[in-house]
Amino acid sequence: MSQDSFSRCHPAVNFLYFVTVIGFGVVIQHPAYAIAGFLGASLYYLLLKGRQGLSFIGSMAGMLVLITLLNPLINTSGEHILFRLFGRPYTLEAMAYGAALGVIFALTMIWFGCYSEVLTSDKFTALFGNLIPALSLLLVMVLRLIPSFTRKTKQIIVARSAIGKGADATESRKDQIKSGISIVSALTDWALEGSIVTADSMRARGYGCAKRTNFHIYCFRKSDAFLVGLIALLAALVLALGGTEAGFTPYFYCDYVTLGFPAYCALLLVPSIMYLREAIVWNNLKFET
Amino acid sequence: MEQLEIRNLSFSYPDAVRETIVDVSFSISKGEYVLLCGNSGCGKTTLLRHLKSVLTPTGSCRGEILYNGVPLEQVDGAKQASAIGYVMQNPDDQIVTDKVWHELAFGLENLGVSRETIGLRVAEMASFFGIQSWYHRDISQLSGGQKQLLNLASIMAMQPEILILDEPTAQLDPIAASDFLNTLKKINQELGITVLITEHRAEDIFPVADRVLVMEKGHLAANAGPREIGHSLFDARSPLFPMLPAPMRSFYQCGGTGTAPLTVREGRNWLTDVFGEKKPAVRTLPPLPELPKTEPALHIENVWLRYEKQSPDVLKGLTMTVPSGCLYTIVGGNGVGKSTTLRTICGASKPYRGKIQVFGKETKKYPRGELFRNCLSMLPQDPTNLFVKQNVREELEEMNPDKQAQIHAAELCEITHLLDAHPYDLSGGEQQRVALAKVLLTNPRLLLLDEPTKGLDCGFKARFARTLKRLTGEGMTIVMVSHDIEFCAEHADIAAMFFDGQIIASGRPREFFGSNSFYTTSSNRMSRCIFENAVTAEDVTALYKENLGDGQ
Repeated sequence: MSQDSFSRCHPAVNFLYFVTVIGFGVVIQHPAYAIAGFLGASLYYLLLKGRQGLSFIGSMAGMLVLITLLNPLINTSGEHILFRLFGRPYTLEAMAYGAALGVIFALTMIWFGCYSEVLTSDKFTALFGNLIPALSLLLVMVLRLIPSFTRKTKQIIVARSAIGKGADATESRKDQIKSGISIVSALTDWALEGSIVTADSMRARGYGCAKRTNFHIYCFRKSDAFLVGLIALLAALVLALGGTEAGFTPYFYCDYVTLGFPAYCALLLVPSIMYLREAIVWNNLKFET
Repeated sequence: MEQLEIRNLSFSYPDAVRETIVDVSFSISKGEYVLLCGNSGCGKTTLLRHLKSVLTPTGSCRGEILYNGVPLEQVDGAKQASAIGYVMQNPDDQIVTDKVWHELAFGLENLGVSRETIGLRVAEMASFFGIQSWYHRDISQLSGGQKQLLNLASIMAMQPEILILDEPTAQLDPIAASDFLNTLKKINQELGITVLITEHRAEDIFPVADRVLVMEKGHLAANAGPREIGHSLFDARSPLFPMLPAPMRSFYQCGGTGTAPLTVREGRNWLTDVFGEKKPAVRTLPPLPELPKTEPALHIENVWLRYEKQSPDVLKGLTMTVPSGCLYTIVGGNGVGKSTTLRTICGASKPYRGKIQVFGKETKKYPRGELFRNCLSMLPQDPTNLFVKQNVREELEEMNPDKQAQIHAAELCEITHLLDAHPYDLSGGEQQRVALAKVLLTNPRLLLLDEPTKGLDCGFKARFARTLKRLTGEGMTIVMVSHDIEFCAEHADIAAMFFDGQIIASGRPREFFGSNSFYTTSSNRMSRCIFENAVTAEDVTALYKENLGDGQ
């Protein structure tokens, strides 16, 4: 569980932030903005996950290259033809467009990676529990079932292989499929049986007796209000100052960068700066004592 | 006024031939701790479910249930939800949400209590139960014992007046179970909340219970204080007698009269009173006869295992030899690697060093599937892991198409009358027997059992022991991992203690448990000041009678 300074903010701040940066990330195709977005997202992701985060970012970079190379195969418009493939033009503009799309794809994925680290299920339900109570409870229950399903599946596989009914006990494909079906059917029975007990437990604790409250453990502090203001201000600056237009095909053009760009960069760096600021404070405390 | 009063309650399920509950009447007053006991299938659960309207099963019902003098069906839903707390057997399935703090709040959320009040109540309960340190955890990271404590805590957060618990510790290991029962005792004594509990492990509850109700086949057979119940069960030669605490059993079997001891301390005082300062003439039982020398069925040598490269070792140079044809039991605390050992023998976990031989041949060298054909088989801790069909008959057919073999296995495990039932409709003990029958149908020569006595009532435990005896008599080797020290002391051929990833000591149960001072049976702890190696109630009785003669 990541417990950095940004994650400890009120879920509304987290949610607003991710909606803003992912929204801008998807909409703005301007190369400067896209690259800044990619770097900003990657920085925060690495701060959250440490070295383990490298492989995900690496694979996203791989996707970026792939999209760059594939896009000209589909999109053939553009002035600078690099070569012809099966008679179709393979253009520089299409490739640049592919790269821009790839960067946007990668930064969105990385932001979502951060999102799932920061905005855990309980924060999500705390945020939307009042709007859609039944749905948010359903979500919580599903989230509880997933790990228990995985665990039970493993247990069944071990148990069956220890009585000679495992998938590796036989060479025949048919038997292996049969054994797989048995496991699925066993899981279904088990889950249905469990859900009866869960339903009893819910009714025994008064589910459906009254209008549900939505309890959560987060409170909205002054610092949260400040962050909301900051995010809104930076986003407004980006929108107001413009300079974000860009086009790739059939010919490349883009706006001159305005003061909106530093505002965007500042927005991207909000969680990372909070993280680093806290790290510095801790470091100083360590030396003081 | 009585808090709960049941008048002439009878109940039968639809289409059932006989009534599940027959004319039961009793009452419970505020703050009492009441134990309801009886063998599996005697109607305990059905009775408890009647005490909460939303859980009452459908069927025909006569009689009255009064809560604080008001008929239960007139007490409204929200009041019942908070005032009558109900804890069920399965720790996992009762939990609704995915976070500990959310689960604590769930009931109060349902009742529409304000957010501030919920916050306070949840904080109170988390502190009372010592949950603070795992307050933010995901449910999936908790152990079984923690889950059951959480279930209790999340009901306590609703501020109940009475707690009803249906075999809450049946699926927990003894340490977690006694933790749970201690908390329950604290709730009863410090908060004055009424407790009504059913439990197979009555040994731990007898000393704290104010009253014991005994059910037999739907009737309420007895309703009295724990000491009188002990006396009447002995007098009636009841099949429930083995359920009593060991000191009490020894007392009655030795022909004791007067106040029977309930705890080890009282039992010890009773023995010192009888024998006085002078030590008795005969203090030791003869050692058990040597086991015949046989070929080893299982030989493990210097096995090291860890789950991941960075994680700590689970098995640390484990070495053990199991002679064929014996019942070898492994006892030890939680998470020391007992179950891992069984999984490793089956090849489900791979050691990074060492070798495992089954009948003189390394397990790795058996050709594909050969190891589990007429050779090795394992009964998992949770019997439902083996169930894949719609009824018991199909479960058995899946293992072995031979009709004769199926009938034989069904008879051996006493499940002939259950063949048409769905495996999930059976009680815990019955499921255990069906799973055992499935495992036996693979004709194993080496059988591994993981906690087979968990959740079994005393009646079936005794029959289960007989089945094991018969199997070893036929030449089968059984390796059993268990927390049930009493069972191991009574029935094992060899007992071994597992600690820190290896077997620390092993021996014949009488010598093995006789030489331990803490990790041993309650009979031994009770009698060790007088006798040297009495480990079961029967041992104590035998030595007692040898010293004082039968007539005393």
